[in-house]
Amino acid sequence: MALNPNDSLPLNRAEALERVGGDESFLEELLTIYKEEFAEKSPALADALANQDAKAVREIGHYIKGASANLSLPGLQAAAFAIEKAGAESRIEDAKASYKTLVAEFERLMKFLAG
Amino acid sequence: MSPLPSLLIAEDDPISSRILEKNLRSWGYETTVARNGNQAWEALRGPTTRLALLDWMMPGAEGPELCRRIRALNKPGYTYIILLTSRDSIQDIIDGLEAGADDFMTKPVNFAELRARLQTGGRIIALEDKLLDSQKRLFELATRDSLTGIWNRATILRFLSDEMAHCQRGGDYSLSTILIDVDYFKKINDTHGHLVGDKVLSKVTSCLEKHIRPYDKVGRYGGDEFLIVLPNCSLYHVSIVAERLRAAVEKQKIRVDGGTLNLSLSLGCASSEVFRRPSGERMIKESDRALYKAKQEGRNRVGLCSELKIPKDAKKEPKKGSKKGTPRGPESK
Repeated sequence: MALNPNDSLPLNRAEALERVGGDESFLEELLTIYKEEFAEKSPALADALANQDAKAVREIGHYIKGASANLSLPGLQAAAFAIEKAGAESRIEDAKASYKTLVAEFERLMKFLAG
Repeated sequence: MSPLPSLLIAEDDPISSRILEKNLRSWGYETTVARNGNQAWEALRGPTTRLALLDWMMPGAEGPELCRRIRALNKPGYTYIILLTSRDSIQDIIDGLEAGADDFMTKPVNFAELRARLQTGGRIIALEDKLLDSQKRLFELATRDSLTGIWNRATILRFLSDEMAHCQRGGDYSLSTILIDVDYFKKINDTHGHLVGDKVLSKVTSCLEKHIRPYDKVGRYGGDEFLIVLPNCSLYHVSIVAERLRAAVEKQKIRVDGGTLNLSLSLGCASSEVFRRPSGERMIKESDRALYKAKQEGRNRVGLCSELKIPKDAKKEPKKGSKKGTPRGPESK
């Protein structure tokens, strides 16, 4: 997975549009669902990190990674992947660091979409 | 072109499932969405789902577990399964395929590739359907009489043998048989030709089928001979059925050049209750003897293998004056 979030935009719109058959409004709808899902999963992930629950960290990381990949959100995908991997290896401190990146990437996406 | 098979999307991520649904519908698939493993299992075990895209990781039951379950279920109509996952190690692929998946795709999926892989699944399903259809047709050919569509000789004899075994195991019920001959059939063939003879056999067949119980079996025993196997039927009741069949066929007429042809049957009945050691062979033999007697006595009548004892609780006795053969006295059974 050769992703470097610093080099890319938070959303690869062309790739995401290709995946939804060029349907702009459908992509907007999916991004809204993504925001809602993120608003639900992010606090759950913070709780799992606070509780040192490596299994939950891995599962939520995996979930966000999948949703991000589907919408071509490379920064969010990379951060979520790092969380999933750290959770799988019970490296909670590393996962906490990646969680900060994840939240920052989400804010970057929000600004990009607003902008 | 046949319609595309019904497809299940089992994916807990709403974004992924919405994208899959949109693409699959645009390709003409009828889709069902399951949001967890339990919902997916309900859809998979049903008869309509023939193609499935299963996410590896789902709450309830994961993709490989569902693959194992559906293969163990061995339901009729194969379900072609593609596992979707972000796992892509060789070991993951092996684990997925060993669990019973047919194919494996890494997420996020490339849709052109998914479409091609689903077409492969569709071809396999179509091949299986063709094979099942051929098997069904071969079964029909091997068990049915080609002219009348009723059971052929080998099959009706097998039914008799099976029912006899069942009757002897279960003990407390009688099995009856009726052997039937179309009166003057050779003369009909010789006078009017074989096509008319075929019409007669078809007419008689539909008449017999109409007047027996749903669980009785009728087969073509020989050229113009029919055999009916009647489970749970005494000699008294088989005599009533046989008389009903005789009367029904007597009303039938066939149009031929220069007029109409009247039809009639001679029937020989046997019932296992009469014999100490009944067998399929004995039932045929005794039905045949009763049939011979009916023919000797002038045809268009019912012959019985033994003297008829009318049960006290019988609701309705066979009509007086019906053309039943004179019951013979009890034989040394």
